[in-house]
Amino acid sequence: MEKPLDKCLDEISHSAGVSGVLCADSQGLCLGVRGKASASSSGTIAALAERAAMLEPGSQDPLILLEGDNSQCLVHHNNSITLAVYKSPETS
Amino acid sequence: MHGIGRIPDEVGHLILSEDGAVIASGGELENAEQMGGTVMGILTCITKAQLWPADSGDAFKKISITYSDHSYVICLSNKNIHIVKRKFIPHEPVKV
Repeated sequence: MEKPLDKCLDEISHSAGVSGVLCADSQGLCLGVRGKASASSSGTIAALAERAAMLEPGSQDPLILLEGDNSQCLVHHNNSITLAVYKSPETS
Repeated sequence: MHGIGRIPDEVGHLILSEDGAVIASGGELENAEQMGGTVMGILTCITKAQLWPADSGDAFKKISITYSDHSYVICLSNKNIHIVKRKFIPHEPVKV
C-alpha cells in the first residue's frame, strides 16, 4: 500500500542537493524518512506546518523554508500530508 | 530608525521583543499583534525540538513563509525578532 510513497521518497532523496526527506501525517506520525532526516522530528514538522497556516487562515497552505548556515529545510503541507525536504550544499 | 523600510518589495514590518511584545510596526503589519502571537507560536514550536540532524550541529537562522503572491521573512537580530512582509513576484523559468 505504501509503495508509491516509498518510491516518491526515494526519488526525492536522490535528487541533487537533497540530504534528507521526511513525510508526516496531520497528527505528526512519521510516514516515511530517508537520509539525514530524523523520524523523531515528524511531530515538530507537522505542528510547524499547522501553525504557519494559521498566519493567513483563508489562504492556501504556505511553503516554509528554514535556513541555516549550511543547510535548508523546506516544509509544505498538502492534503493532510506534510513533507519536509532537507538540503545541504555538500550533497549537491 | 531600524533601516527595515529599505528592504526591496517590503510592504510591512513588525519587530518583536524576545517575549513577543511589539516594539515597532509599519505598513501592512502595523499593530499586527495577533500575527506577532502566531509567529511566537511558530518559533516556540521550532525551538522545542531539534529539527536538524544531531550530527550536523546546524541551527536555523532565517525562516521564510511563502504564499503565492507574498512572503514573510522572520529572523532574529539584536535580541529582537524581525518580521518582514514582502511582495513575492515569481520569475518565469528560463527556457533553454
